[in-house]
Amino acid sequence: MSASTLITGIGLGSMYGLLALGFYVTYAVSRTVNFAQGSAMMLGAVLTFSFAVTWGWPMWTAILASLALCTAWGVVVERVGVRPFVRRGSDAWLMATVAMGIVLENVVLFTFGKDPRGMPPSPLTTESFYLADIKVQPLQVVIPVAGIAIAVALHWFSHRTRHGRALLAVVQNPDAARLMGIDVTAAIVVTFALSGLFAGVAGILIAPLFIISSTMGTLFGIKAFAVAILGGITNAWGVMVAGLVYGLAEALITSLLGSTYTHIVTFALVIVALAARPHGLFGRAEVKKV
Amino acid sequence: MKALRRVTSLVVAVLVVVAIVTADGYQVYIISLVGLTAMVGIGINILLGLTGQISLGHAGFYAIGAYVGAILTTTYGWSFWVALPLAGLVAGLAGMLLAIPALRVRGPYLAMVTIAFGFVVEQGAAEWKEVTGGWNGIMFIPLPEAFGYTFIERDVALLVAILTVGTVALFARLNASAWGKAMRAVRDSELASRSLGLDPVMIRTAAFTLSAAITGIAGAIFASLTNFISPESFPFLQSILFLLVAIIGGIGTVLGPVVGALVVVLLPEFLSALAEYRLLFVGVLLLVVLVATPRGVVGEIERRFRRIDERPAKAGELDVAGFLSRPGAGDPLVVEALSVSFGGVVAVVEVSLRAEPGAVTSIIGPNGAGKTSVLNLVCGYLRPETGAVRLGERDVTGRPAQSIARTGIARTYQTTQLFENLSVRENLEIALRRGRLGSIVAALAGRAAGDSEARATAESLLAFVGFAGSVEQPASALPHVDKRLVEIARALAIRPAVLLLDEPAAGLGLHDTAGLGRLLRKIADAGVAVVIVEHDMTLVMEISDHVYVLDAGACIADGPPARVRADPLVREAYLGARDFASERRTAAPAAIGERVLEVSELTAGYGAAPVLENINLALRDGEMAAVLGANGAGKSTLMRTVTGLHRAERGRVRLGGGDITSFTANRTARAGLMLVPEGRQVFPELSVVDNIRLGAYTRRDFDDRLEVEAMLERFPQLRARATRRAGLLSGGEQQMLAIARGLVGKPRVLLLDEPSLGLAPALINDLFDVLVELRDEGISILLVDQMAGLALSVADRGYILESGRVVHEGTTTEIRENPALENAYLGGFG
Amino acid sequence: MTRRNHQSSTPFRRGLAIAAATAAVGLLAALPLNAADPVKLGLVAALSGPSAQSGEAITRGLTVAMDEINAAGGILGGRMIELVRRDDESSPPKGVIAARELIFKEEVAAFFGGIDSPVSLAIVPLANKSKVPFMGVWAAATPITRNKADPNYVFRVSAVDAIVDIKLLQYAHSTFGASKIGLMLINNPWGESNERGLLAADAGNDDVEIVGVEKFENNDVDMIPQLTRNKDKGADALVLVTNAPPGAQMMKSRDRMGWDVPVVSHWGISGGRFPELAGPTAGDAHFVQTYSFFGEQGEAGKRVLAALVDKFDNINGPEEVFSPVGTANAYDAMHLLAKAIDQAGSTDGDAIRTALESLGRHEGLIKTYDPPFSAENHDALNENDYIMVRFAGNQISPIE
Repeated sequence: MSASTLITGIGLGSMYGLLALGFYVTYAVSRTVNFAQGSAMMLGAVLTFSFAVTWGWPMWTAILASLALCTAWGVVVERVGVRPFVRRGSDAWLMATVAMGIVLENVVLFTFGKDPRGMPPSPLTTESFYLADIKVQPLQVVIPVAGIAIAVALHWFSHRTRHGRALLAVVQNPDAARLMGIDVTAAIVVTFALSGLFAGVAGILIAPLFIISSTMGTLFGIKAFAVAILGGITNAWGVMVAGLVYGLAEALITSLLGSTYTHIVTFALVIVALAARPHGLFGRAEVKKV
Repeated sequence: MKALRRVTSLVVAVLVVVAIVTADGYQVYIISLVGLTAMVGIGINILLGLTGQISLGHAGFYAIGAYVGAILTTTYGWSFWVALPLAGLVAGLAGMLLAIPALRVRGPYLAMVTIAFGFVVEQGAAEWKEVTGGWNGIMFIPLPEAFGYTFIERDVALLVAILTVGTVALFARLNASAWGKAMRAVRDSELASRSLGLDPVMIRTAAFTLSAAITGIAGAIFASLTNFISPESFPFLQSILFLLVAIIGGIGTVLGPVVGALVVVLLPEFLSALAEYRLLFVGVLLLVVLVATPRGVVGEIERRFRRIDERPAKAGELDVAGFLSRPGAGDPLVVEALSVSFGGVVAVVEVSLRAEPGAVTSIIGPNGAGKTSVLNLVCGYLRPETGAVRLGERDVTGRPAQSIARTGIARTYQTTQLFENLSVRENLEIALRRGRLGSIVAALAGRAAGDSEARATAESLLAFVGFAGSVEQPASALPHVDKRLVEIARALAIRPAVLLLDEPAAGLGLHDTAGLGRLLRKIADAGVAVVIVEHDMTLVMEISDHVYVLDAGACIADGPPARVRADPLVREAYLGARDFASERRTAAPAAIGERVLEVSELTAGYGAAPVLENINLALRDGEMAAVLGANGAGKSTLMRTVTGLHRAERGRVRLGGGDITSFTANRTARAGLMLVPEGRQVFPELSVVDNIRLGAYTRRDFDDRLEVEAMLERFPQLRARATRRAGLLSGGEQQMLAIARGLVGKPRVLLLDEPSLGLAPALINDLFDVLVELRDEGISILLVDQMAGLALSVADRGYILESGRVVHEGTTTEIRENPALENAYLGGFG
Repeated sequence: MTRRNHQSSTPFRRGLAIAAATAAVGLLAALPLNAADPVKLGLVAALSGPSAQSGEAITRGLTVAMDEINAAGGILGGRMIELVRRDDESSPPKGVIAARELIFKEEVAAFFGGIDSPVSLAIVPLANKSKVPFMGVWAAATPITRNKADPNYVFRVSAVDAIVDIKLLQYAHSTFGASKIGLMLINNPWGESNERGLLAADAGNDDVEIVGVEKFENNDVDMIPQLTRNKDKGADALVLVTNAPPGAQMMKSRDRMGWDVPVVSHWGISGGRFPELAGPTAGDAHFVQTYSFFGEQGEAGKRVLAALVDKFDNINGPEEVFSPVGTANAYDAMHLLAKAIDQAGSTDGDAIRTALESLGRHEGLIKTYDPPFSAENHDALNENDYIMVRFAGNQISPIE
C-alpha cells in the first residue's frame, strides 16, 4: 500500500467517522438517527460550492453560512421526519428520514443543477509538499486533522460544559436528566442540529477531493452508518476509531484486490464483525431487566 | 359477513382478470410488477410483521432468486417451472444463512447486517462474471413455457396474480397458525416465549427462511418478465422500497403489502409525465402517507372497522384440576446451593430451597435481596455459577430456558410479560403447545389440527383463574389485574409441575389480592408446586406452607410462616434495628411555616385503572413528611406524577403557591422540586463531581468550586471517589451521591423515593443520619420509604397509601400507634 | 401535450405545463386518431444523476433538428414530430422499463438512446423483439449495433468502440511516442466493451503493447493504487475509458501522485464539466470527438449553433455548448430518422427500418452521409469522422 493511499484512507476514514458521529449523537440521546445523513453531507458541499463559486462569496462566509444551514436542516429533519413518529411509538422515522433525503437530493438536483461540479483549485490542493519521497497535498492532512479535532471538540464540549454534561446525562438516563431540569426534547433537537453540523463539515472537507453532485452522499452515508454500527453507535470514540479502521481497510483492500472488490469485502467484513460482536467492535450490550 | 367477503373477493378477482386481459403491453408489465412487489412485501411482513425483525436487504434475496432463475433458464436451458422453485429454495437457504448473524443482532445493528447483505449480493453479482455476466447482466431470459406454449407477458401477469393471491392466503394461514402465533409471541416478549418452551432462534430462522424464499420466487418471475437483469436491477433503494411496501400497507396486516405495492409501484407511474421530477414527488408523497397513516393504510382501516367479540371465556367441560395433574406431576423442585454474581457483585449466595408439589412456597426479603435472581436461575434465564436445579430426578441446571419450560417449570413476571399484540385467547393457545409447533408446511397448508380443542382448553383455563373479560381482545388492552390473571393462566397452559410467580400481587388491591390468594391455593391443591416471590406479607402469611427469607443474596431463615415471622433476623431485615426514639426532633422546629407543596385530588394511572385516586397531601416549609405503603400501593407513581415524569389525569399540584400540575419534569425541577429517584439513577458514566454539577443545572448562581466542595464535605465517602465514574460506586455511595445531586440544586422541596432500597443495614443507618441532618437544617422533605419504622422515626408527619388512596394521615406518633400501618407492611407481623 | 412542454427549462413553467398536460391527457385520449396527430419519437437517456448533462445535450440536438423539421411542415404529409423523454438514471434496468413504457404506452414510432452503453445494451433486445427502431446517438459499445439480431432494428449515429479503440492506440504512439500502454477502465459493460476492443486493437498494432489493465468504480475517490500498478508495469501512456466524474478523479489522483504520463481518452469525459472537475491538469487528456463547434463552421454548423444560441438562454457561443458530440450526433440522427419515416410513408417499425437501410445521400452537420446506413452497416460514422481534441480552459479545441 502506497503511503499516499494510506493518507487518503485515513482522510476518508476520519470523514466516515465524522459523519458517523452524527449518527452517534442522535442515537445516543433519542435512539433515532437521520438515516439520510449522507444527503445532509451533500448539502454542506453543495451549499458551500454555490455560495463560494456560483455567488462568489468569500470562502469563510460561504462555509459558515453552509454550516448554519446544515445545522438548520438537522433541526428540520428532527421536527418533520423523526418527532411525529417517535411520539406515536413508531419506527417509521427510518423511512421518513429516507424520504426526506430523497426530497433533499431532488430539490438540490433542480436548484443546484444536474451536472456534477468540482471545487476550484485552492492552495489546499495545489501547494503540495514532499514528505520524504511522498507528494502530499495540504488537504490530505487537513481532513484527518479536522475530523479528529471535531471529535476532540465534541468530547470537550460534552465533558467540560454545562450543556454538554446535560447531553451526556440525557444519554445515560433521560428521566433522571429531566429531574435535573434538563429539557430532553430540546436536547434531542440539539443532537440533530449537531448531526447536521457534522455532516456539513464532512461535506465541505471532502468536497475538494470529491465531485459535488446531488447523489454524492448516498454511498458515503451508508458507509458512515456501517461505521457507526461497527463502532457500537453509543460510544463516541469507538465510532471515530471504527471510521479510521474502515477507511484504512478500504484502502488496503483497494491496494491488494482492486477497487472492484472493495465493497464486497468491506460489507462482508461488517456482517462477520457484527456476527462476532453483536454490539459493534467497541459497543456494550444493553442490559435488560426481567 | 363471510358471504360479503366472498362476494368482494370474487369481484376483485374478476376486476383483476379483466384489467390484465384488457391492458396494453406496458400496463400488463406494471400489473405484474405490483403483484411481484406485493409478494416481496408479504415476505417482509413475515419478518417485520410477525417476528418484528427489520430488513433493508430484501433486494438481495430478490436478486438471488432472479439470478438463479435467469441462469438456470438461460445458461442451462432448464424449464422455468423447475427453476422457479429452485430460485425460492436457494433464496430461502440464503435467508437461513443470513439468519445466523442476523439473529445475534437487534434494531439498527440488524438493519446494518441486512444492508451489508444487499450490497454483498449486488456487488457479488457484478464481480462473479463467469456466472452472472457481471455488469452486463443476463439478457434474453425466456418467458415461461408450458406444453409447447410460450407465455406472453399477459400470461405472466395472470400467473403473478395467482401467486400473489396464493401468497396472501399463505400469510393469512401462517398468521393464524401456531407458527404465526409463535412468531408474534417471540416479537412481543422473547423472555416469556422461552419460558413457554418456544425456541426463538428456530422461530426467527424459520421466518427469515420463509421470507427470503417468497422473495426469491418473486425475483425469478421478475427476471423472466423483464428478460434482462443486471446488478443494477437490485440497488439499495429497491430494498428501501420493499420495506416501504410493508410499512405503507400496514405492518402485520394480511392485505397491507398488496395495498403498499399498489402505492409504491403505481404512484411513480402516475407521475411518469413528470420525468425527472418524479422522485421528488414520490419522496414528498411518501412522507405524507407515513405521517397520515401511522398503522399503514390497511392497519388504519382495520382499526376503524374492527369489532372485538366481547364474549367472555366459557368454563367448558375441561377438568382443570385434572388437566394440571399431568403425568410426572408430583415431582418437587429442588434447588441446591445456587450462586451467581454480576460483574463481581454477588447476587445470590448458595441458596437452597425445596418446593413440594401441592404446597405454596414463598420467597421473601427486602428489595434487592436476590429473590428475582433466584427465579431467573431456576427457569434458565441465568446460568448459575455453582449449584443445581432439579425437578424430581431430572437435573435441569444450566439448560436453556425453553428446554426447562418443556420439562414443566412455568413462570410469571414482576411486570407482566404478556404477548401484548396477541389476543388473550392466542396468548394461551401458543402456551398450550409447550414449544411443539408441528410442521411449518402443515401450518402453511392450513392443516393445523386441534384448533377447536385448544380454544376450549384455553377458555376453561381462563375461567379457572377467574378472568371475566373478553377473550378476543388484545392483551395490551387488559387492566392490570386481568394481565396478572391471564399471565397465570398462560403459565398453567403448559401444564407445569412447578409454577414460579414473581410478585403476583404487586399493584393489586386488597380484594384482588385475596382472590389471587385463593387462586394460588387452588392451583397448589391441584398438585402443582407453587413458588412465589412476594412483598405482600398478608398474602404470604396466609397461603404459604413454607417461607424462605433472603437478605443480600443469602437465605437467612426458613420454615413455616409462624416461625419465620418471629425470627429476629427477619424483623431486623425488614424494619431496621434502630432505636427510633433517639431520632425524634428534640425540639419542635421553629421554622415550620406555610404549605410549600400541596397536592389536591390527584388522580393518575397507566391506561385502564387509575393507580392513584384523589390523593390529597401537603408539606409545610421546613417539615419532613413520610409517605408509607406496601409495594404497588402507588408511592412511586405519586412521586413521578408530582414531579411531572408522569401526567396527572386529574387534580392539582402546587409548589409555593404556583400551579405546576401541567409542568413537564424539567420545568418542575426548575420550579424547585427535586426528586431523588428510586434506585438512585445516578449518571453511571459521569464522574461523581459531574453528577453533582448536573444537580445544579438549572441554577444560574452556582459556584462550581465552592458548592461541589461543600457537598464533598457533607458526604466524606464521596470525596475519595470524586473523579471516579458514578457507576463504579457502591449502592450506599450512589445513594449519597443522588442526595447530594438533589441538594446542590437548592430545591424548595426535596423528594426522596425509597432511599434505603437495597442498602445494607449499616448503610441505612448512615443514610438516616443524613436525613436527620437535612431535616434539622430546615429543608422541606417528602420521603417515601419501605423502611416504615425508620421513616416514621425521622419524619414529622406521615401518610399511609393503600391501593392508590390515602387511607390515613397524621403525626408520626399517631401513625405508629395505629395498627393499620403494621398490617399494611407486615401482614400483622409481630 | 405539446413538445414545448418538454423543452421549457424552468421548473415553474414545467410545473404549469404538467398541470396543463394532466388536464389535456384526458381530452387527447378521447380524440380519434387523425392525420394531424403528431408522430411520437422517444428518448431514453440520463436526465438525472451524474451524467444528466449528456441527456441535456442530446435533448438540445434533437430539439433543434425537430424544430427545423416541424417548421418545414413536419413529416408524413403534415404531422408534427413530438419528443417524449424518459429518464434512465444511468441504470440499465430503469432504461429497459423506460423503453418499455415508450414502446407500449406512448407507442413511439422509434426512439433514441443516451450516453450509457450498459443502458443501450440492455434495451437492444427489447427494441428488436418489439420491432421498434432504436437510434443510438452517443453510447459507443460495439455490440449495440452489432447485436446478431436479424432483422436488426438498432442504428447509430455515433462512434463505435472497436474503431475508436484502434484510433486511441495509434494516437498514443504517433503523438506521444508511447509503446507501453496502461489501461484505466470504468468497471461496467462499456469498460468491458473497450477492454475487448483495445486488446483486439493491440493484437493488430505492432507499435504498442498493453502492459496493464486496471479498473475503477464510479464512486472511487482515490485511484492511486490502480495508477501505481500501471506505473510499476512501465506504462508510458494511459488510455482512459470512462465518463467525466470518475475520469476527473483519475486525473486528480494522477496529479496527486505527481505522475505526468500522457493520457489518451475515449470521449466519455466530454459528457460533464471535466475541466472544472479535474482541475488544472484537465488539458493533459487528449480525447476523441465526432464534431467540434470551434473553428471554421460549415453551413449546417452555423445554422445549428445559431439555433442553439437562440433557443437556450445559457448558450452564447461554442464554448457553452457542453458535450458537443451529444448535440451534434443527436441533430443528425433526428434528421436521418425523420427522413426515413417520410420515406417509409408510415410509422410502422419494419418500414422505418427498411427505409433507414436504404436512405440516400444526406447532408448533415457532422458530414455528408452517402449513404448513412446499409443492411449490413448500421453505424453512420466511421474512423474518418473522428477528431482528437483536448480541453483548453473550458473549451474543447481540436488538436492538429
